[in-house]
Amino acid sequence: MPDIKIMNNEDDAKKALKSRERNPKIQVENEGYQPPRSGMIFLQAMIGIFFFIFVVRFWYLQVHRGEEFSRQAQENRLRQERIFAPRGRILDYGGKVLADNRIAYGLELVREDCPDLPATLAQIASWSGIPLASVQEKYQQDKARVKPFEPLLLITDIDFDLVAKIESEIHAWPGLEIVVRTKRNYPENELFAHILGYVGDANEQEMANDKSIDLGDLVGKQGLELRLEKDLRGQKGLYDVEVDAHARILGKNLRLEPKGGEEVRLSLNRDLQQACWDALNGEAGCVVVMESDTGKLRALVTSPAYDNNLFAGGISRRNWEALRTNNRFPLQNRVIQSVYPPGSVWKLLMAAMLLENGVSPHDTIHCGGQVRLGKQIFRCWRKGGHGGMNLESALVHSCDVYFYLMAQRMGIDKIESFARASGFGSQTGIDLPHEKAGLVPSREWKKRRFKRAWARGETFNVSIGQGYTLVTPVQMTVYVAAMLNGGDLLKPQLVENAPREVRGRVPAQAKTLQFVVNAMRKTAASGTARIVGRKDADMGGKTGTAQVVKLKMKSGDRRLKTHEMEYSQRDHAWIATFGQKNGKSYVVVVMVEHGGGGSTVAGPVAKKVYQYLFDQDPNFPASAEAAVEDAAAPVATRIGRVQSNG
Amino acid sequence: MDKRLFSHINWGLLACMCILFLAGVGNLYSASGTRLEDGLAFSDFYQRQLVWGGLALIGMIGAMSFDYRRLRNLAWPFFWITLILLLLVPIMGKTVYGAKRWLSLGLMSIQPSELAKLSVLILAARILARDGSPLGWKDFISVLAVGLVPAALIIIQPDLGTTMLILLILGGMILFHGVRGYVLKTCLLAAPVAGLFMWFVGMKDYQRQRILTFLDPSNDPRGSGYHILQSRIAIGSGEIWGKGYGEGTQSQLRFLPERHSDFAVAVFGEEWGFVGCVALVTLYCLFLLAIFSTAVLAKDRFGSMLVVGVFFYFFWQITINMGMVIGLMPVVGIPLPFMSYGGSATMVNFLLLGIVLNVSMRRFMFKV
Repeated sequence: MPDIKIMNNEDDAKKALKSRERNPKIQVENEGYQPPRSGMIFLQAMIGIFFFIFVVRFWYLQVHRGEEFSRQAQENRLRQERIFAPRGRILDYGGKVLADNRIAYGLELVREDCPDLPATLAQIASWSGIPLASVQEKYQQDKARVKPFEPLLLITDIDFDLVAKIESEIHAWPGLEIVVRTKRNYPENELFAHILGYVGDANEQEMANDKSIDLGDLVGKQGLELRLEKDLRGQKGLYDVEVDAHARILGKNLRLEPKGGEEVRLSLNRDLQQACWDALNGEAGCVVVMESDTGKLRALVTSPAYDNNLFAGGISRRNWEALRTNNRFPLQNRVIQSVYPPGSVWKLLMAAMLLENGVSPHDTIHCGGQVRLGKQIFRCWRKGGHGGMNLESALVHSCDVYFYLMAQRMGIDKIESFARASGFGSQTGIDLPHEKAGLVPSREWKKRRFKRAWARGETFNVSIGQGYTLVTPVQMTVYVAAMLNGGDLLKPQLVENAPREVRGRVPAQAKTLQFVVNAMRKTAASGTARIVGRKDADMGGKTGTAQVVKLKMKSGDRRLKTHEMEYSQRDHAWIATFGQKNGKSYVVVVMVEHGGGGSTVAGPVAKKVYQYLFDQDPNFPASAEAAVEDAAAPVATRIGRVQSNG
Repeated sequence: MDKRLFSHINWGLLACMCILFLAGVGNLYSASGTRLEDGLAFSDFYQRQLVWGGLALIGMIGAMSFDYRRLRNLAWPFFWITLILLLLVPIMGKTVYGAKRWLSLGLMSIQPSELAKLSVLILAARILARDGSPLGWKDFISVLAVGLVPAALIIIQPDLGTTMLILLILGGMILFHGVRGYVLKTCLLAAPVAGLFMWFVGMKDYQRQRILTFLDPSNDPRGSGYHILQSRIAIGSGEIWGKGYGEGTQSQLRFLPERHSDFAVAVFGEEWGFVGCVALVTLYCLFLLAIFSTAVLAKDRFGSMLVVGVFFYFFWQITINMGMVIGLMPVVGIPLPFMSYGGSATMVNFLLLGIVLNVSMRRFMFKV
């Protein structure tokens, strides 16, 4: 440090004098200059202030906020790049692929690297043929959701030819990159559409609910894809990518290995599903095949259906409108999302209820074809009447009058509480979204809904599964299975290794259940469900023909034949059946919307389903022993228990 | 050269200067590194700076070799030449980045505004040296006029940085010399008015924008606020001990703008941390104190004023540049002496220090 206090001392003066002697040109200046005092203080103060302010500021930036800036420098330098984990496949019971992933090419944009955004968007529109307005809209929509320097996926699933074209021109468009993504593929198309559902781009809400979902991720939107999302999704991997200010990638480090989603094996049998689909033959309706002991669904068909591949890559507006406005409602899963009056199938419930409420199987009632209640006439489907009927014959021949009069004796409250306890009016818990609960009408419900008291005639309607009563086909399936398995109301399972889950019990004794099962056997052997009867298997069934509109018939009017009615006014055709062979016990429920008579329309469908199950299915055990060996242990014990109950 | 002249050289100043220059070259070497996919690539800024330093050293020796008092006689001719050159700029100047600052003289181009700093400094020293008593209105205005005329010609180029620097140097010299109380008070009152005048008349839109961005850099993080934010991140991320020489990611990955020139000290701060920065600030303070001591010890008022002018020339550049880099001042294109790359700036710096050394050498001599 230079010493500022040095003043010219004698020594200096002597030196100066000496030099003057030698060199007369140079002399000691005789005018004594003194710098201004205030000026000296001013300069020193400036240096002092400078030192103080800068040291404090450096301390503030580097020590006080150093860690924060360090982190920001790291963030500048390191970007995280996600590695997509493949979504788990979905297989059928036999291992056939129902949902897998295929490669799809997409085009991504990093806006910070893109010098001329409007021109780039226009170029994308011209490559892809997507209108410029929609490309811009997509960009505007998503740009707020990506961090700086993160890519924004603008178009997905580009065809291979177009990829080649874009690839050859992309170097002129900085900021664009072709990326490989997977796309969900459903090889069975419409056959499993309602069960599998579909995936789609995650929306704002899904991203808000689950932080591991990022923009551009596919998530389940419907069906099992939605319900099993957590298992199927897997876990994304992470690269630490070192980049410079121009987003040039300098190095990549794998931080987290991606973990593929779980593979899910369904209980459904693809070939059986196909057989059911074929059996429906294009009618609007549905078929459910369930194992009565385990609750495992082996087929669940609803028709008409849609191709869920349309949704997997984002459905076009035109396709969506077409599906939405189709008057046969292909988006509806009729097994769980549609409710129908059950018609005479409901008598299976009524029979159990009557037995549990003190009605003897031997009590007889005379059916004269109709019953009067005040001014109203309630008819039996058989114009001439059935004559003397007991419970079993009333079931076998589906006599309406018997149930009218018995229901009148019981009252609506008993019917309601029994139906509720048997699973009607509430969801079965199947692993599919948007399941309907159906409706079991009651006095309170009527009061709430219509502000009117329950009318006695309405009990008559309910007794034969008409009026307000609404059920889903899957509820009916679960109920029939409960008749066979000792009263357990099982959760219908779609996943093969799902455990047996009892959600309730039909409040009936074993002999009551046995009675209903026997009556179904007789119905299949000689009653209205004769069509499903088989010699080689233990078969049972109950048909139903559910009126859609209340037909105002004056006496003497002829009942219209199905083909003479408007489609939307035609009856729904039901058949609820079981078939047991070689230790396997299945419940098959068929419902044909506006199909007409249960025995003539639904029956043949069920018959074909059993033909596949017992005659054509290569996996079906040839004997009971094989079945026991084949089946899991709990199933075997279930069978044992049912038999001991019987 | 006389031995005694040699013995009176301000060695402390020379040492500070050499250390600063070499630290600057070392820092430039690190700032020249750019990380690519396959390692570091270096540009040749540091080599060029060394060559300039060599040339400037010769210039400096030249500036020491004559008696500085001759400059007093050259002050007016030098000033007139500068004014003529400044007047030629709008007529035949070269337009670079939208500003006319350069005059082409056949083989080389010069910036008359650089010359203006020197000539204003020398002329002001001459005028202020006439009398030791505090300035009254008349003297104050005549000194101010020496700065304002070239400043007006420079601000229309436009070059706000140099204009400001000239006026600040002049202001520093006047304050050192001392003004009468009433002049000072009037000036303090007039300062806000002058500030407003500058804002509305003197500044271009981009300059106003820079000041607004300085007040809130997060306002425009990808535009003009980018420089401020990135340099703060660079310096702050050095923390206490720095990332190590040649390890600055902000610099090597090019997040830091203008890392060779205006933001060179951010590279230094990133790599050397708080400890290095305090050392650098201390070194600059020692450097300024060495100049200050020369001003105090000067044998005559002209030499003293000359050195005070040089003192402010360095003081303001260091303050403005570092203040800008660490976010205390708006972004103005003023380089940091010795740290920023620049041939002509190095040349001028060394020449001016040559004058300071000249004054220190001759503090006991008197030329007949």
